[in-house]
Amino acid sequence: MLSPILLGQAVVNGISLSAIYILVALGFTLLFGIMRVVNFAHGAFAMLGGYALYYVYGRWGVPYLIAAPLSALGVALAALVLERLVYRWFYQKMFQSMIGLLGLEMAIVFTAVIIWDPHERSVPAALAGIVEVGGIIVPTDKLVIVGVAAVALAAFYLFTKFSKYGLAMRAAAQDVEIAAAQGIDTTRIYQLAFVIAIFMAALAGGFYAQTYALSPLMGERPLMMAFIVVILGGMGSIPGVALGGIILGFAESFLGTFYGGSVAVFASFGAVILLLIFRPWGLLGTPET
Amino acid sequence: MTDASLSPLALAPRAGGRPLAIAAAVVAVLALVPLVIADKFILSLGSTVFITAIAAASLHLIIRTGHISLGHAAFMGIGAYASVLTVMELGLPFAAGVLAAFVAPCLLALAIGPLVLRLTGKYFVLVTFLFGEIVRMVFVEWKSVTGGANGIFGIPAPAPVFNDPAAYYYLSLGAGVLLVGFIARLLASEVGRAIDAVRESERLAHCSGIPVLRLKVTIFALGCGIVGIAGALQGHFIRYVDPTSYSVVQSLNLVVVNVIGGMQTLVGPLVGTLFYLILPEMLRGYVELQRIIFGIILIIVMAFLPGGLVELGGRALQLVRRRAGS
Amino acid sequence: MMMNAKAAMAAVCGLAALAAAQPTVAQEDLKVGVIAALSGGGTAWGLGLQRGVQIALDEVNTAGGLKVAGKTYKLSMVAFDDQYNAAQAKTAAERLVNQEKISFLFGPVGSPGALGSLPVTQPAKVLQFVDGYAPAILKNEWHAGYVFRVNNSNREFAGPIVKWIRQTMPEVKKIGMIAPNDAVGQAAVPILVDAYKKEGFDVWVEYYERGSKEFTPLIVRMMAQKVDLFEINSNAPGEAGLMVKQARQVGFRGKILQSGGAGVDEMIEIAGPLAEGFLKYDVIEFTAPEVKPLVDAYNKKYQGIINGMVPIYYNAAHILLEAIRRADSLDTTKVRDEIEKMEGWETKMFGKLAWTGQAEYGAKHQIAQPFFIKEVKGGKGTVKTVLKPE
Repeated sequence: MLSPILLGQAVVNGISLSAIYILVALGFTLLFGIMRVVNFAHGAFAMLGGYALYYVYGRWGVPYLIAAPLSALGVALAALVLERLVYRWFYQKMFQSMIGLLGLEMAIVFTAVIIWDPHERSVPAALAGIVEVGGIIVPTDKLVIVGVAAVALAAFYLFTKFSKYGLAMRAAAQDVEIAAAQGIDTTRIYQLAFVIAIFMAALAGGFYAQTYALSPLMGERPLMMAFIVVILGGMGSIPGVALGGIILGFAESFLGTFYGGSVAVFASFGAVILLLIFRPWGLLGTPET
Repeated sequence: MTDASLSPLALAPRAGGRPLAIAAAVVAVLALVPLVIADKFILSLGSTVFITAIAAASLHLIIRTGHISLGHAAFMGIGAYASVLTVMELGLPFAAGVLAAFVAPCLLALAIGPLVLRLTGKYFVLVTFLFGEIVRMVFVEWKSVTGGANGIFGIPAPAPVFNDPAAYYYLSLGAGVLLVGFIARLLASEVGRAIDAVRESERLAHCSGIPVLRLKVTIFALGCGIVGIAGALQGHFIRYVDPTSYSVVQSLNLVVVNVIGGMQTLVGPLVGTLFYLILPEMLRGYVELQRIIFGIILIIVMAFLPGGLVELGGRALQLVRRRAGS
Repeated sequence: MMMNAKAAMAAVCGLAALAAAQPTVAQEDLKVGVIAALSGGGTAWGLGLQRGVQIALDEVNTAGGLKVAGKTYKLSMVAFDDQYNAAQAKTAAERLVNQEKISFLFGPVGSPGALGSLPVTQPAKVLQFVDGYAPAILKNEWHAGYVFRVNNSNREFAGPIVKWIRQTMPEVKKIGMIAPNDAVGQAAVPILVDAYKKEGFDVWVEYYERGSKEFTPLIVRMMAQKVDLFEINSNAPGEAGLMVKQARQVGFRGKILQSGGAGVDEMIEIAGPLAEGFLKYDVIEFTAPEVKPLVDAYNKKYQGIINGMVPIYYNAAHILLEAIRRADSLDTTKVRDEIEKMEGWETKMFGKLAWTGQAEYGAKHQIAQPFFIKEVKGGKGTVKTVLKPE
């Protein structure tokens, strides 16, 4: 059953899965890396991003290239209220943040159930149709996601590596008190990082809702994948997210195509456990002292 | 564990002023409840509280070594299935089922313990999370033994008399007193001091002659065995076991119970259990809002009582003493 | 158990508050219970159940209430959430039966909740109306004493659908299925596979872990097996819609059919134009004139798409109410006996009431109602044929 077309199809599926995983995990790793917050409400923001896109693009008909970033930005800015009300209590508190933000996830998701009803709906694709290359079929909506994921990843990396704010963020990530002593306004930096992280979650949620389906409960799966991708790559590491996302996406595609669904999950989880036992800081993370 | 959130552990009081007397009084009151209240629902809720309290306390034991397991419900499930299979397939009495429910998860924990307990803090959380999911998937896939996703239905009560909710109330209360009492004794003993030393600084503990890994593995196996017994009690109580009852959601619930109640003393998970089981019952009538309200309460408790609800008790006690003193 | 005094007091206060929260039951008030997944996975079904029952109760109340043995009762509902979980369903049932003192219970939908609640309701002789594919719901130590399954299970509809395929699609030889590895999938798929094999079809089955949204790798795997018909079996509407969409996107050109689930609208919403030609089992035709009053009542009171659980449980509520009228009593044994005798009663939208299951479960407590095969044409589900259960 190992035909070139099947193999090619598995590669294509692997790339598109990886792209989604990377997008979802980027914001998650940023919040963890800088504020030491385990954002269990990440999936809820992805869900809100989905609904924002549903209205801005699907209902109001704003051109897609504007609608996608605009709706994500809307969610991120609105979320600043929650940063003040909720998140700031949990900075640098890993376990408390886990439980508290789990509460936030519940509150947001079940408010959404009341507002939108639990049924699943769809967000229209930006480019419907398929591209066929030598018998291998690529849905165009997935091409868009791959493109955006690549751009987002690059922008993210360059921003944290080279911009003034990016440097400040990394300084704050290493030691808040020292960073503050050197005149970095950590409150502002935290808010900036928060907005970026939620923006990424909402953007990814929009794509997720477009490719799959939109419902108040849709955030669960992206959250779990983000969690695993981030562990795999190394918590807080951006290249780690890229590598973790690619490995997980390809593993799911290849194992699923050639060995079936249950094997794919068993094998991926087993591999991550082994990795953690022998290299707990992840593939590209750095060991803690 | 290097996390700041856990460091004040050593300073925490053991369980108030006269722990033994208070505990005895509470148990006495609880033992009188079925004589006063005949409501089957209250009695069954009582059984659920005691079973959950055992599970939460067993997780507390592991947490005290500085490791938070996000796969504890999987071990509870192993205990439940072990007991149910012993009773239903082998035709042995319930006591043998309980023994199997202790031994099976305990052995598994002994096998994986030496590997996973080398990990600290968050990495241990993640590994146990993944491990728990794998165990749940085994419950789903191993259809010939576990009944697959449809589980095992028609589980008999431990003995015909336990079909009566009041009898099951006493059974689970008795088990709770024994097992939680055992954990309390253990934590108050030399071993308990060694556990606290390991959590504060593994290196220091190692230098002072504590066999760190062996101690951690033993405690981990003990905690997993005890939660297995809780699983057996639950399986024969609900009379149905299925994989969804032992998923990561349930593991997370046990962690939430511990964090909400407080991770510093054994009282924490007990208070947490009460909070976690009674509050949703009060909210059950508000079908649409219950989860939102519960979520907001979780946020508020975690934001303002990072040490859990026990902290509230501690503060109140201080206030009372200050008043009394002045 | 070691607890401090404060905790004990909190417990006592909690329990006292619980007791105090129960309003005193007026003489002419009749409460029925509902257990449904109102949060978590099965929420859409749970809300459908609750709303279907509520609309039926409203109708009776507007018409002046339910007259039983010389008294007129106003009907009300107490609904509790089971989070699609056995333990939660047991607790909810304990509370409905022992505190709310209800004798009639609708739900839960789904096997875990149903199996969790039966040990509470059956010894207490509470009449329960459930939906879920697990055979143990009816085949159990109580011989389905006080429980009815009010929706076709796939044991009733699989055979007729497969025979219909045999007759109308002679070119189909091999069937491919991708099924959820959960209670629904593991209970329903073997029955469906048997039905296909009995008619001489080749069947290929692959399971996936619940929660997955990307089925393309599995569909590609299935296509390599050269299947002629993609059978979506018991997948939930969201997953089913995605399977149709993703199968068409990667170029699957065979027939796609679902023997299971209920309601085609949600799937059309998700698969969009790619749903064209898709065939599906359904329980109701919402555009039919006899269903219109229900749809209107639903839209007046609720928002969101109406799903198959609404008419199913609306119907179940009316069966119960009619049986109470006939028994002229609230005694559950008498009412149950009346329900069993109600065969041939004209329901509002499912034709004549029929019960089956004597051979399979030892009690005729399984509903058997005619069902539809719908085909998606021009973005709408249109009735292709009406079949009768076996």
